[in-house]
Amino acid sequence: MKKTVLLFSLIALTATTGLFAQTKKTTSAIVAFDATTPKDALPKAENKTVIAEIDTKSGQIGFEAAVKNFTFTNPTIQAHFNEERWLNSDKFPAFTFMGKINDVTKYNFSKNGVYNVTVTGQLTVKDKTNNVTTPATIEVKNGTLIANASFSIVLADYGIQVGTAGKIAGEPKITVAAELK
Amino acid sequence: MTEKRTNKKGWIRKALFAFLLVVLLAGGAFWYIMNETFDDTAATQSAYTVSAQDLINAYQTNDSLANAAYREQIITVQGRVTEVEAADTTVNIKFTDPVTGSYLIFDFQSQHVADAKVLQAGDSVAIKGSCSGNIYSMLRKAHMISFKRSVLVTKF
Repeated sequence: MKKTVLLFSLIALTATTGLFAQTKKTTSAIVAFDATTPKDALPKAENKTVIAEIDTKSGQIGFEAAVKNFTFTNPTIQAHFNEERWLNSDKFPAFTFMGKINDVTKYNFSKNGVYNVTVTGQLTVKDKTNNVTTPATIEVKNGTLIANASFSIVLADYGIQVGTAGKIAGEPKITVAAELK
Repeated sequence: MTEKRTNKKGWIRKALFAFLLVVLLAGGAFWYIMNETFDDTAATQSAYTVSAQDLINAYQTNDSLANAAYREQIITVQGRVTEVEAADTTVNIKFTDPVTGSYLIFDFQSQHVADAKVLQAGDSVAIKGSCSGNIYSMLRKAHMISFKRSVLVTKF
């Protein structure tokens, strides 16, 4: 009898941890970059192959994106984005964000619901790292985490000068959307 | 005197014409660049056709050499789909090396998303896309080789 109870307990534990593993992952998070201005509607792009992980227990968060996989509608603008004076993607092929959910113990991510959280971390672009703090929402739906965040960065902080023509926003908006399983 | 005036008028007319021509050409070039879009990948010739595992192996062996050959090229990749992953309203298709976890991932051109949506893990396919090269993921401890503007060529 004891053995049967132990066996059922083990099965139940395995099923639970399988359904709600501590680390949620995806390789198809979406990061959008919008540096448009009233003078130019072209400098905006999207990358749909971003790696993302969230550890629901420790609150650790990580994102990694290949710079060259940002897709623009316009080939010339895409080429400019990747060239040496802008993102220099041959030399610096990835954007990374490593951070954590603040006060993670306040949230029970094993329960369905929408959680408004604050995320703090370090964003690295062109080998320059700056702190970023942003509000984010995490919706838990049957073990899947749907995370969304939106924030701005100052390009000059990453060694990118946009010039004075007013065709590229100096503080582009970054939008993040991820479905982590 | 009259001849000189006529010559001057002719010169001014020519200069004005040249100026207008330059403005028109510059305007045309600007309009072309601003309205240019990427060609449909389906109609673009592949620089290489490779198997998914061979391409992953090439990146794992020497990513600098692999990038020199494949990055920014249109490539047709043949292999067995290991994962179909949702990305917003579209899907990404993956080929993963089961031993190392390194993978190829394809984001589809908007007009070809419907073809990708019907694919399932286990399907043998050929996919053509623009190779963005690789990054080594510290999170996954593996190479990610990504493709954009992809199209399904064949489902075998």
